[in-house]
Amino acid sequence: MKKSLVAPQIWHPEEVSEAWSLLKRFGKAARVLAGGTAVQLDWAAGAPVPEHWIDLNRLDDLRGVTELADGGIWIGALTSLSALRHGALIGKKLPMLCDAVGRVGSAGIRNLATLGGNVASGSGCIIPALLALDAEVELFTAKGLVRRNLRALLSSSLTPMEGVVLVAIVVPARLPAKTCFEKMGLRRAFTPSVINAAAGLWFDGAGNVVKARLAIGGGITPPQRLSAAEHSLIGIPLSALDWTSLKRDMLGEMRVPSDAFRSAEYRRNVAANAIIAGLGGGVALDAVAGKASAHCFASIPAFVPVPYSEVEVSRAAMSERWRMRPDVTAKVEGAFTYLTDIRKPDMLVGRVLRAGYPHARILGIDTSEAEALPGVHAVVTHRDVKGLNGYGIVIPDQPAFCADKVRYVGDAVAAIAAESEEIAERALALIRVDYEVLPIVDDAERALAPDAPLVHESGNLLADLGLERGKVDEAFARAAHIVEDVYVTPRQMHAFMETEGGYAEPTPEGGLLVCVAGQHGYRDRMQLARILDVDEECIRIVSSPSGGAFGGKDELTVQPALALLALKAGRPVRLQLDRWESVLAGTKRQPMRIRMRTACDAEGYLIAQEVDAIADGGAYASLGASVVETALEHVTGAYRIPNVRSRGRLAYTNNGFGGAFRGFGCNEMLFAVESQIGRLAEKAGLDPVSFRVRNLRQPGDMGYLGQVVAPSDRGRETLAAAAASDLWARERGVSADGRKVIGVGLAVALQGSGLGSAIGDSGAARLSLAADGKIEAAFGAEEIGQGVLALIQESVARVLGCERDDVRPVIGDTAKTVDSGSTTASRMTYVVWRSASETGPELSAKLLAAAAKEMGKQSEELAIGAGGIYDARRNVPDVPLLSFAALAQSLGEAERPSAECGFAFPISHGTVEGNARFLHCHSAVLARVAVDRVTGMVEVLDLDQHTAAGPVMDVANYSGQIEGGGVQGLGFTLTEDTLIEGGTFTSRNFDSYMVPMIADAPANMRVFAMEELDAGDPYGPRGVGELGISAVSPAVAAAVADAVGIWVVEAPFSPEKILIRTGGMSAPAE
Amino acid sequence: MTIRFVLNGEPVEMDARPDERFVDLLRDRLGLPGAKVGCGIGRCGSCTVIIDDVAMNGCLLPAYKLEGRRITTVEGLGSLPEGRAVILAFSEGNAFQCGYCAPGFTVAMTALLMREDVPDEADIREALGGHVCRCTGYHSILRAAADAAVRCQKDD
Ligand code: FES
Ligand code: FES
Repeated sequence: MKKSLVAPQIWHPEEVSEAWSLLKRFGKAARVLAGGTAVQLDWAAGAPVPEHWIDLNRLDDLRGVTELADGGIWIGALTSLSALRHGALIGKKLPMLCDAVGRVGSAGIRNLATLGGNVASGSGCIIPALLALDAEVELFTAKGLVRRNLRALLSSSLTPMEGVVLVAIVVPARLPAKTCFEKMGLRRAFTPSVINAAAGLWFDGAGNVVKARLAIGGGITPPQRLSAAEHSLIGIPLSALDWTSLKRDMLGEMRVPSDAFRSAEYRRNVAANAIIAGLGGGVALDAVAGKASAHCFASIPAFVPVPYSEVEVSRAAMSERWRMRPDVTAKVEGAFTYLTDIRKPDMLVGRVLRAGYPHARILGIDTSEAEALPGVHAVVTHRDVKGLNGYGIVIPDQPAFCADKVRYVGDAVAAIAAESEEIAERALALIRVDYEVLPIVDDAERALAPDAPLVHESGNLLADLGLERGKVDEAFARAAHIVEDVYVTPRQMHAFMETEGGYAEPTPEGGLLVCVAGQHGYRDRMQLARILDVDEECIRIVSSPSGGAFGGKDELTVQPALALLALKAGRPVRLQLDRWESVLAGTKRQPMRIRMRTACDAEGYLIAQEVDAIADGGAYASLGASVVETALEHVTGAYRIPNVRSRGRLAYTNNGFGGAFRGFGCNEMLFAVESQIGRLAEKAGLDPVSFRVRNLRQPGDMGYLGQVVAPSDRGRETLAAAAASDLWARERGVSADGRKVIGVGLAVALQGSGLGSAIGDSGAARLSLAADGKIEAAFGAEEIGQGVLALIQESVARVLGCERDDVRPVIGDTAKTVDSGSTTASRMTYVVWRSASETGPELSAKLLAAAAKEMGKQSEELAIGAGGIYDARRNVPDVPLLSFAALAQSLGEAERPSAECGFAFPISHGTVEGNARFLHCHSAVLARVAVDRVTGMVEVLDLDQHTAAGPVMDVANYSGQIEGGGVQGLGFTLTEDTLIEGGTFTSRNFDSYMVPMIADAPANMRVFAMEELDAGDPYGPRGVGELGISAVSPAVAAAVADAVGIWVVEAPFSPEKILIRTGGMSAPAE
Repeated sequence: MTIRFVLNGEPVEMDARPDERFVDLLRDRLGLPGAKVGCGIGRCGSCTVIIDDVAMNGCLLPAYKLEGRRITTVEGLGSLPEGRAVILAFSEGNAFQCGYCAPGFTVAMTALLMREDVPDEADIREALGGHVCRCTGYHSILRAAADAAVRCQKDD
């Protein structure tokens, strides 16, 4: 809830009449509150907060459900939605209402929210259901208690609830014999309403309709009854109904608006479709558009004769290898401390002033009034930046605080540290910034036009990369089949649950401590030192743990503001962006438009490919160019294509700013590549497996950029496993009720790990015996949820031969670790495993030597085991001869053994045309989806990922990365896009940005792994942080194509386009 | 205004603005940072607390509504048998990754077990359906939640 500057006055009337009098007395300055859930959304969106809150919760008479003498059902306005949802009477008598209530909000919200609030809002999701039941309302008005028909009331004025208190909803005794209700949303559940539709029909003894109520509403659609259509139903039985003309009638009279999320046309059509389907009319295929038919391969693809062995990665299947994460219990108990949880008595609260304009010149910044406000301890602007006023992992073009102009709405202009949130908020409003608004550029292609406004003086073209090999034009000229299309990918938001934040404080030694979750503490320190113009050693960065990152905390976030504020105020300062500010300011996945042309010969061998990609980098460089580079590294996916021409450009625009996001260009490119492959297979008359088999890269092939790659290619094996899956044999085609069409799709991925050959990439670690006897494993790594703690414990314990609990990981702190490189690019698994392999034997030898000395034995007689040192010849594990703790105690600090390592991440040597990865892992992904012909929405029923990435170091980590990456990939494919218009975000929070919820996750998910490496492959486990997202989108696209014969090329998939192509609505007139 | 309520079994009396969010009181003033703010508008569940035996979003609860209530936060779940079963099942099942959503899920699951003796999968999905987890893809949570339901029965 948003706080206003003055506290509201709360009134607690004891009688309805008293509530009504208060409302009359204060008029527009008052607001009646029951659950107070919906109104808070309005306030958060900027609606003014009234001075007087009239809380109805003491009106106990307005709570409860009773059956009236006449058989009607009286529902008190204050009855909570969950009481309705779980109440016996409603469940029995009004199941449709019960269902409608269950589609509002979440369980927690339904415990707070009331039926009255939903109805009184005038736009509640339940209203159409009540209209279909012909419900009445009891109101307290100037005339006392009155009963009105709900529909009559709603149509009586634009603000029917003004000046009245809603007392109850009454559902009359004569209930409709047939009802239906449907809420259409932006995702499957807990969604804003796109439109809600409901119907109630009453019949005579002969089965003719005698009364009909058809209603729509919800979200931005004003509640309304469809009277003409209702009329057309009267006097006939449903069996005689012409559903097509009913649909036409309904469409004709709906008054429905559009918004940035869905068109009015779409809303009208899905509402009509839902009513028809709900009343038993089946799926209303549009006569004009609707020839699309199910298009199943109806076959189980060819068996691939390649031996493989895989395990299902799950607790059930690998119970003996299942270990608890060391941090999980504290997290579950709420006892785990994140850096944004810290509060100290003398801590100030920081806030950042954001530009608010997507592009403007700064004419002046006046902070004097803010500085003068009592309770403000520091105000900082660009004038406080002593060093380089810029950061950026590749090019430091992003100002810590803007000096001359702002380039996106979230640009930082100033920051404040004050004694409280309120003071900080007030002070923020006192900073005066004069802007001269500049023309914006909000499209990547337009940004590259010669007359486009310049985001940076250097020009809007941030990167232009490409490669050509073979005889591309010649190959296309002799092609048997060519597929060409433009694939579009979304501005996905990381949406980590812990928004950017933390705290900073000056240290007694004159240094600075900065505690902000990041993905590479040492690089954060380097960038920050450059901004502050101090030695790196003066700064200590604590960058772990993190409440999620996914690439979105790779770049600096709030560190510059916090550091400058803490130094200026000379006190600890905390700061955490709220979700809206995080949306506004934070990095996003850069949207891409990928034009791709791919050809094969008559036998189905790929011969040529042409790719032209353009990405919207937003206002600053960050890692944008590297993302495009990585996308281009994957233009041939897992295949051999002899003739290739590729180009990728990245443009500056005023659309936020783009950077790293799990997948890092690979999953974007694979969406296009794998879709092309699926379509070419169709054209060549081959099933999706056979076509892939003949085109896959072979073990020993060079990488796409001409690089040598590591052994253990598992392209064929993962494909063979997917081909043999039982998923192909599950139900496919049109569902029994005709509403859904089910299809199965396949896609494969080859995903690189590490930073590549062009950039320095190194790892390091230190193992030592700590004073308390723990083996301390120090890594400059971050725990971002992926489970690096468990990975470190497992890797070190395996090499030493001790238990996981003997190992204490020390991470994410530049004062206590060594620089292991970034926690990105799926690289940390290798770094940790390699470090353990390198340092473990040395530490082991030192431990044994020290123990031998202490015990008066020879090293060779001793061995390391759980908790300490054992007799090497013992054959039963028991207590150690000498525990690690005792050993540590016997040694002085200087004598306690330790071992360090540093190494280059493996890259390929030789001629490489670009930035190439050496390590890769594979997956073959199967998705089984149901396309809803009423709404055009896609539901994912099954998602199976057959992966190969070397040994599974930790079962939970592995399955967690693949499952979590998979569902994030589904978000990318189906629901997620940060909407932006004219450089300003339309998506503001989780009410307007649709991350997948439980209902959006596949009903079934399975993760399989092939753990074996080739004989002589020395590279150990590959990281799977990104593998899980790599091939999800094209697998879903292929499944949709299998179901309904359409290849969707724009993600997130537009339900509207699918509905048009499947005949559920006509294409809008051009 | 002065408000009085029972928090994790202890009486609390404090001064607060009536419109102050409960989750902020917990985090900033009562030293209980277990509940998190993921969205601030009721759309992620990370702030969930139990008020008089039902789960509610702490970011949607203004202080004036707390008067006289009996409140359990994630920090107090250990004193409830249902809470202990959930903590055990969620921990052993490695239900979470970054864990930022974990307190909300744990509280909501506990509240479900307080209401339903034998929740089925649909009950679990409904009770947890308003919670965002960005890391796991939810299945690890659903598996552990099913386990919690079984454990809770066994422990009865
Ligand atoms: S913070 Fe309360 S629901 Fe998200
Ligand atoms: S575990 Fe990270 S949000 Fe759920």
